[in-house]
Amino acid sequence: MQRVLRIPRFLSGRFAPAVFVLAIVATAARADDAAQWLARASQAARQLDYVGTIVYQSGPRVESSRITHLYQDQREFAKLVNLDGPAREVVRNDGELRCYYPDAKLMRVEPSTFRNVFPSLSVEQQQSLSRYYAFRVVGDDRVGGRPVEVVVFEPKDGLRYGHRFWSDGATGLLLKARVLNERGEPIEQFAFSDLTINARIDRAMVEPSWPVLPPDWKTLESAAGEVVQQATGWVVGRMPPGFEKIMEGFRKLRGRRERVAHLVYSDGLVSISVFIEPITGGATPAGFLQKGGLNVYSVRQDDYLITVMGETPGATVRQIAHSVVRR
Amino acid sequence: MNERISRLMDGDVDAAEMDALLSTLKSDAALATWSCYHTIGDALRGEPAVTHGVGAAVARQLVAEPTVLAPRAAAVSRPASWAWAAAASVAAVTVVGWTAYSLIDATPAGFAKAAEAGTVRAAQARQITVPADYLLAHQEYSPANALQSVGPYLRDVAASAPLRPAVAE
Repeated sequence: MQRVLRIPRFLSGRFAPAVFVLAIVATAARADDAAQWLARASQAARQLDYVGTIVYQSGPRVESSRITHLYQDQREFAKLVNLDGPAREVVRNDGELRCYYPDAKLMRVEPSTFRNVFPSLSVEQQQSLSRYYAFRVVGDDRVGGRPVEVVVFEPKDGLRYGHRFWSDGATGLLLKARVLNERGEPIEQFAFSDLTINARIDRAMVEPSWPVLPPDWKTLESAAGEVVQQATGWVVGRMPPGFEKIMEGFRKLRGRRERVAHLVYSDGLVSISVFIEPITGGATPAGFLQKGGLNVYSVRQDDYLITVMGETPGATVRQIAHSVVRR
Repeated sequence: MNERISRLMDGDVDAAEMDALLSTLKSDAALATWSCYHTIGDALRGEPAVTHGVGAAVARQLVAEPTVLAPRAAAVSRPASWAWAAAASVAAVTVVGWTAYSLIDATPAGFAKAAEAGTVRAAQARQITVPADYLLAHQEYSPANALQSVGPYLRDVAASAPLRPAVAE
């Protein structure tokens, strides 16, 4: 049986669709620029060989990691080692991703991750980019001793975060990225503090520090990559404008008998995932979570748990979570 | 409970339910939810600054204003005035924080402390555990993430990322 979701009035009020109509009318012919900029930065991140130190800031936390990246035979290899605290690392071997947690004696494998390789934006996504973000080249600056070009994606509504990017003038590689909240305050930032582009990197440098897993370590094999694309029977009633569905299907998740419906939407810059899983037994986690620029909202609907996560404000994922219905 | 808070804010709560709700609102979690809903509503209406920390603001206002003892005409919109009474009873609204994060399912004893340290400033608002599979499945779909190679996975391996939070509800 389907329950009609109550939509709290405090969420509506003067929140008028007219805002979006205006945004659409005011669309400038910058879509190509934004999409081209994204494509160049994405291609650089994937195809260049580089090694450097990334400083990650989220709220009061500042942490640094060492990244080594190699592009060889049209395949991507990367290794990210946490320099602060436990020496956790992430190793990419083309599609496969491995996360090592020496402090927990645990390794997590993601066998075949989807790789959103640019240029893969649909025409709709490119249009969304210019309709819902004001893309501007702000000017020149310097990051890690290198000249950079600074660009901003300024949201035209309150449903998206703002983004500021510093890209290497010579190669297009992203050297610094900042996420700004609704009030324009930074909530998350990545930046290279040092970097060598076109460095001589061999495969050994992007191998995990534990080529053979110690016997007392535990391996968690995620099945998240196995997604069967098909209609799930679920729809989002109030998806913010500009978000197009880019994937829909069922996933088999580790430790769960039932399949989980997974729908992904993107506005060309960020994405929002909607997960729907049957609730089996007892208490279900419902509520909020924020992790830097990522917000998650979970809500129970009858016998299902709906979890929405995306690089958008918390209000956006909440609105979506409360509007998911059976087709 | 959250739906009741939501209805409270909409002025849909009758007097009988009000007492119970007000005592519920004394808990930090309920308070945080209440504050959070206001922030969400404001954000959607594009007026984020108005009720940010409204509890504290109302409390200050109450202290500053003289008490008016004159009798008052019966309020037409009774539920709404109840809602404001609730607002006034909220003495100090803490900033809503939800830093809980789940990366792996194992919980080594040594991590409990780290997790606590990571969430100590949070208002303990309905923290949730999100399956790591969800996070990893989502991560690869973000165009912005593709700009940064494995950079976004910093969120996952950051030393301060608590491995498993306390689960509310």
